[in-house]
Amino acid sequence: MATWTWFHRFGSPPWVYGFAARWAPWFGAGAALCMIIALYGGLVLAPPDYQQKDAFRIVYIHAPSATLSLAVYSTMAVAAAVGLIWRMKVAHAAAAACAPIGAWFTVATLGTGMLWGKPMWGAYWVWDPRLTSELVLLFLYLGYMGLRAGIEDPQKADKASAVLAIVGAVNVPIIKYSVNWWNSLHQPATNKILGDPDMDWSMVWPLLLMLLAFFLYFGWVLLIRLRAELLRRERNASWIREVLA
Amino acid sequence: MNDFLAMSGYGKYLWPAFGLGFGVVVLIYVSARSSLSSAMRDARRRLEINRPEQIR
Repeated sequence: MATWTWFHRFGSPPWVYGFAARWAPWFGAGAALCMIIALYGGLVLAPPDYQQKDAFRIVYIHAPSATLSLAVYSTMAVAAAVGLIWRMKVAHAAAAACAPIGAWFTVATLGTGMLWGKPMWGAYWVWDPRLTSELVLLFLYLGYMGLRAGIEDPQKADKASAVLAIVGAVNVPIIKYSVNWWNSLHQPATNKILGDPDMDWSMVWPLLLMLLAFFLYFGWVLLIRLRAELLRRERNASWIREVLA
Repeated sequence: MNDFLAMSGYGKYLWPAFGLGFGVVVLIYVSARSSLSSAMRDARRRLEINRPEQIR
């Protein structure tokens, strides 16, 4: 039981604010280091693909963006559910902090995918299940942010946006498995959690490192945004005076 | 160097893709920092306006 008591600290805004301030720079430094090494590995060391030639290198920016667009939404939905069920203010703040980050990752996914699609498929955009469901994800993020902005009472905004985030989570497995469930122009997953990847290791390691970089980067910007959210929500609390002193 | 930039003829797709991807990375960071700065400014202004006894 005692091992779970540490988790309760995440319900305390001042503790989370301090935690975010202490840890954010470490996430940032880790992300920058991994990104530089992964970029060198992906753009210089990895050999060209035998079919796609150097165009395949777009994977080093497209796949991490796409993974993060889904991971951020999942984080947002889980945080929203925790906030809704346990009425945890910090969880609602975390969900709200996730939304703009996830929306921008989705924009990057769609944009880089279009730039990869043109030379490979001959078109920037096709109404393919993967592309369409990813576009729906962008609308979900925008809808979440719009809903929050449209409701003045913060508690009502938290509840309504949490319901939208949870309902919208159904789109996450649809995006992930759309390439398996339907005929799709989009290629299926190259790297599997279980089993060997379809790519050579010399191409895979920069991708895995870039994925790690993007996750660390997400941690970094989430902690910064979380501090901002907590300052706004807790503006009348006494701990604000102490942390800003 | 020219070969590297040309990326076997796919440079016109590859570099804009990386530009967009890392542009978004920079934008997310700048927007997060600006959100924190603005929240800190508001909080400080509020603390200056409210006397300590009015703060919970």
